[in-house]
Amino acid sequence: MFAEELKTIRRLGIRHVLLQLLNFASVIASGLMIWKGLGLITNSESPIVVVLSGSMEPAFYRGDLLFLTNPANVPYHTGDITVYKVPGGQIPIVHRVLETRGVVRRASSSAKKAAAKGLADEGKEGAVLRTQPEAEVEQLLLTKGDNNHIDDIDLYEGLEWLERRHVVGKVRGFLPYIGYVTIAMNDFPKLKYALLGILGLVALVQRE
Amino acid sequence: MTRPRKARNGATPSPSQADDNEGPTASTSTTRPLSLLNLALSPSERDEVKVNNSNLTDLKNACDDAVKRFLSRPDLFKQIHTHTDVRLALGWASVFVAAGTAYYGWKVEFEQSKPVVWAGLIIYVLLTALQALYAYFVEGDVVFVGKRKTFEKRIVTERITLSSHTTPSKSSKPPSYHLTATYVRSASGGKSLLNRGNASQGRGYTTFFDEKGTMDQERFETWVAELVDKVTEDKSQ
Repeated sequence: MFAEELKTIRRLGIRHVLLQLLNFASVIASGLMIWKGLGLITNSESPIVVVLSGSMEPAFYRGDLLFLTNPANVPYHTGDITVYKVPGGQIPIVHRVLETRGVVRRASSSAKKAAAKGLADEGKEGAVLRTQPEAEVEQLLLTKGDNNHIDDIDLYEGLEWLERRHVVGKVRGFLPYIGYVTIAMNDFPKLKYALLGILGLVALVQRE
Repeated sequence: MTRPRKARNGATPSPSQADDNEGPTASTSTTRPLSLLNLALSPSERDEVKVNNSNLTDLKNACDDAVKRFLSRPDLFKQIHTHTDVRLALGWASVFVAAGTAYYGWKVEFEQSKPVVWAGLIIYVLLTALQALYAYFVEGDVVFVGKRKTFEKRIVTERITLSSHTTPSKSSKPPSYHLTATYVRSASGGKSLLNRGNASQGRGYTTFFDEKGTMDQERFETWVAELVDKVTEDKSQ
């Protein structure tokens, strides 16, 4: 098979080789840029994640694909499902928000900051926070998996509350089972390389 | 004009053509470039071209490649690669911008990396858009752009552009390959125009490809040669 290709390459010259390599490289480049663009638009470091554990059953099962957004100054509420990464933790965790402690401050005024401090979320806070659209929100969160008996304090590696900066995003939607492809590629790395190799071969051999 | 170097199948330039090219005639602007019809290669010197008969893209690509191979022979035209080079430059630039942005985004923490990643993303989109626009508007259907300089009393430059497109099959006709040739002949660095020509012809793919998909390159090259001759002929004669 390669003898044919080598003959073709010699016949068509180096520009042809560069064009074919460009085909392959631009497929990868466009994939990377779409991923980065999605991350910027959703304001989330990793807008699509796969559920690895069963701690959110029956809502999410292992292998589900989750779509996240992380709107910058919109506060999270009890009941939101968040994905967070504890500093020093290995993998992101998907659990539900149990409690929040909010600090709302207007960028310009520090007097209002003192007044708004320490409000606990009892439903009323939601109304207060929503009427201040220009506010900077700083929140502390406590989470728990639906399928776990206890909350996540033990997972926080010494912290008492999660901060907003630890949160990757809030779950907006999901697709069941699709994530198994990623799980398979992580558990069997050879599969990943095989897939990449096939993609490369197809892109190199084909012409537009 | 140098004598063709490769052994021909018994074909040599006919006496009238040799006269045209060697000595200056009464009016040099009416000399005609060497007819291409006698430049067929012997079958044993060719690589066989075999394509998938049912794939129109493959057929078109095979014909385009044959045109490029034929016309960029040392004794014919010299291919100008500007279109390809622009595409390569824009394409590879966008790939490197994408790679750099992705690497930066991976190394630097998310919030900090945002402005640079935005910049990289916008530059990538611009480069890709430029490349697409260039390919669509400027390059279009062009398959081959060639140049040739000959010297008879003064430097004469010829420039030929070939573009091709495919018409898919209709109930009565097989799919066909259309070649359009544009030719300009000028002297003194392009300032005085000596000749200009335009011609377009189509042939069904069945003319050049047999049922196994092997390309009859001689017949194809003869057809291309006829077309090029038609477009280079001097109308004032």
